[in-house]
Amino acid sequence: MSSVDESVLEKAINKMLSEGASYAEARYHEIRRTSILLINGAVMGVEQSVRSGIALRAIVSGGLGFASTTSTSTEAVEKAALRAVAAAKTSATGVKNPVRMSPARLGRAKYSVAEKEPLEDIAIGDKIASLLEEYKVLVLERNGFKVPNTTMIYTDSVEYKVLITSDGAYVESRVPRVAAMYNLAAVYGEKRANRFGELGASGGYERLKEFRLGEKIQDDINSLYISLVEAKSPPRGKLDVVLSPEIVGLMVHESAGHPSEADRVLGREAAQAGMSFRATYKEETIGSPTVTVVDDPTIPGSFGFYLYDDEGVAARERVLYDKGKLAELLHNRETAAIYGTESNGAARAMDYLSEPIVRMANTYMKPGDYSFNELIEDIKHGIYIKKYMEWNIDDIRWGQRYVGLEAYVIENGELGEPVTNVALEVTTKELYSSIDAVGKDLVFYAGLCGKGEPPQGVPVWMGGPHVRLRGVTIRWA
Amino acid sequence: MGIDLHTVAESIANKVKNRVDEYIVKLGAENKLMVKYARGEPSVTQSWQTLRLSLYLAKAGRISVSSFSAERPDEILRRVLDSLELLKPSPFYAPLPEPSGENTEYVDETIKTIVEEGDATRQVEEIGFSEPGDVAGKIEFWYLKEVLLGSNGADLRHEATSFNGYIRVFKGESSGQWSWTSTFYNPLIARKAIERAGELAKQCAKLPKRRIEPGKYRVLLSPMVAGNLVEHIAMAASAGSMIFGTSFFQGRKPGEKVLSEKLTLLDKPRDNTLPGFRGFDDEGVATTNKAIIKEGVLETILHNTKTAKLMNAKTTGNAGWIMPAPFNLEVEPGDATLDELISELRNGIYITNNWYTRFQNHVEGVFSTVSRDAVIVYENREPKYCTERIRIADTMPRLFSSIELIEKEQWPIQWWEVEIPTRISHILIAEANISLPQ
Repeated sequence: MSSVDESVLEKAINKMLSEGASYAEARYHEIRRTSILLINGAVMGVEQSVRSGIALRAIVSGGLGFASTTSTSTEAVEKAALRAVAAAKTSATGVKNPVRMSPARLGRAKYSVAEKEPLEDIAIGDKIASLLEEYKVLVLERNGFKVPNTTMIYTDSVEYKVLITSDGAYVESRVPRVAAMYNLAAVYGEKRANRFGELGASGGYERLKEFRLGEKIQDDINSLYISLVEAKSPPRGKLDVVLSPEIVGLMVHESAGHPSEADRVLGREAAQAGMSFRATYKEETIGSPTVTVVDDPTIPGSFGFYLYDDEGVAARERVLYDKGKLAELLHNRETAAIYGTESNGAARAMDYLSEPIVRMANTYMKPGDYSFNELIEDIKHGIYIKKYMEWNIDDIRWGQRYVGLEAYVIENGELGEPVTNVALEVTTKELYSSIDAVGKDLVFYAGLCGKGEPPQGVPVWMGGPHVRLRGVTIRWA
Repeated sequence: MGIDLHTVAESIANKVKNRVDEYIVKLGAENKLMVKYARGEPSVTQSWQTLRLSLYLAKAGRISVSSFSAERPDEILRRVLDSLELLKPSPFYAPLPEPSGENTEYVDETIKTIVEEGDATRQVEEIGFSEPGDVAGKIEFWYLKEVLLGSNGADLRHEATSFNGYIRVFKGESSGQWSWTSTFYNPLIARKAIERAGELAKQCAKLPKRRIEPGKYRVLLSPMVAGNLVEHIAMAASAGSMIFGTSFFQGRKPGEKVLSEKLTLLDKPRDNTLPGFRGFDDEGVATTNKAIIKEGVLETILHNTKTAKLMNAKTTGNAGWIMPAPFNLEVEPGDATLDELISELRNGIYITNNWYTRFQNHVEGVFSTVSRDAVIVYENREPKYCTERIRIADTMPRLFSSIELIEKEQWPIQWWEVEIPTRISHILIAEANISLPQ
């Protein structure tokens, strides 16, 4: 069982305060992880890890310092406290705008995510057997089409944290998670393509069964087959387009969630993950009134689940785009203080080596009331993009590109022949403004979101319904 | 860092040796200090002191890899050893090789002191990071001491330091970004990067801003951009990428021409001026400097003993217990000056920084990457205007088969988008496909 001597954290806080810190924070952070690597249905190996240690932050004379140590001995942690203070003083020598912590609803709480089937109760042999069962059902070859490389990585983890701050937060949490990733490389004659997939959720081993991993992989194999064997080049030009929840999820993560991170808007990540168009955008409107995008860490079972953030602030839903208008930013206590508001609980740290920074959790577009058939029924000539294979976005989150793996022509309100290499390259405003109808479905997808220096990957969900875009430019990739 | 790493590693080895056929214990103590800047001022200073244990175990062909930062390893050791009994033999298994590695040490005492004390105030001032005004970026000092003990007789030590960072300089709405990396502290290396970032920002601030049309262009890749892209070439030459199905060299064999004859890409683990320097890989095999691509020909597929067995080859001393990888990269320089490259660019685009390189199709190398910071458009050899946030949307084989010229000056680069320390020059590409939102 995970545990830490909390008096060590308190001693660290006291040490930092006695050395001149105006704010001090101590977090024990432990992640136990098991991964199983399968290539072409054979178990290549197993990786197990425990990353545990203590992360400290101090503010001294307006400078922010962070220190971490793997050792939980009082001596090592007190030395780390001195390093945190020294680091804060290094920052303070050049600081022009002193760092402050905003007011916030600080928690004094313990919570944990329930596991119907506790991860630690399942023998590794049983986990391997389940994965092999999923692999067995795959049809990897037909009509000259083959999938010669199938890589599957199963990972489960238990994240345990105890956080104490000098202004009264105390939060102990335990979040187990299950995830699976896979890569499929397919070949048909001279043509080759590949597809990555990722599934993830919080909870116990029962989540793996809920993933229906084998079915998901087979569905992607079918998409590769359609793309390589059956699909034609897409029509080009201004077209009406229907996007699937997979692409909508990625889109809202990249061009609604990231630009709404207050630290980006303020330039704190300017040399790394970049900035945000919201820093200079003068208009109130970013999209059509049908578009509402939120981020909510409190969704039960989600990959990005938490109830209190890594500064001890209570989590809640944040509305980022509200009926087409720019709305809230995601804040930690530092950015909230600059904006003169309260933190809305978006501070997350990947592990004990990481400072808490502004992050998304579960970002999604709110569903509307259209069925899929209603979305396509009045499209005379358009495209339905179901799955993507490439995407990227610029460093202010304005110009973005999504390339479809599996897509279909829409002719007179009906799905037609498959097309592939459909490239949608648009600005954020064009994208959200062109949405005129939003589906009533809602599907979430898992991912690891990268940001920070050193880079931190944190688990997130991203999701949405099917949406219809009117008159956007489609090209060949 | 008073702990005797060798004694701790030995005690771990003693705990596992009677329950497995083979083991490797890798124990590293890492001290690091990073000063991060934003908006022209330090945003946070971070100090790490980390002890990390990694363990490779094999028994009857079953393989387990584990890592833990815990001080008390007994509980996880028990779990790892118990799990090993439940696995099946791995097709990936190969016996550990004879250890041929050499101990390596390249330590800058200034860096060692900085990271132990957690204080870089004097050096930050000396570097003059914030002198250009509105800047963002980081300065990093790093010290690593590592031992590697194995049942194959490996008993190796490595000790090294690093001084690296990057800076983004803003001038109005324009910006330039550059990076540096080194194994020793030298403020001049950092100042050169700061100056280069500043020059680019200033140059674009003076020029008008204009959109370009999508299409084919001559492009000059800065060392930042070229460094990002050649890292993908180097990783495509890893046997692991080929086995995982993510390599655009899939099916290609050493000796085949794959890229421009002007490109020679080296893995240089024995270059003690770049922070990836080391004398042994994770299996205890000696590292060697080698060409991955020599004059456009695929010269070396990077292997550990496991991938080598699967592909009927020999280890190249690039383990990774699972994934073989390069240590330091270098592109052999050409003989042109930057001015000559710009002159030869004639009508084209100088892309100075990029990010978000994503593959649409790994096996065919179809990718796009987004520019950031200064993008300078030249007409008749003159800088005419700056544009922004364009994409190179092309294939790796096509792009790197159309190299025209390589600069003779080399720049040591390492940052967010160039993780492997890389010494590289500006590269002139005859034709690249450029796209952007319309």
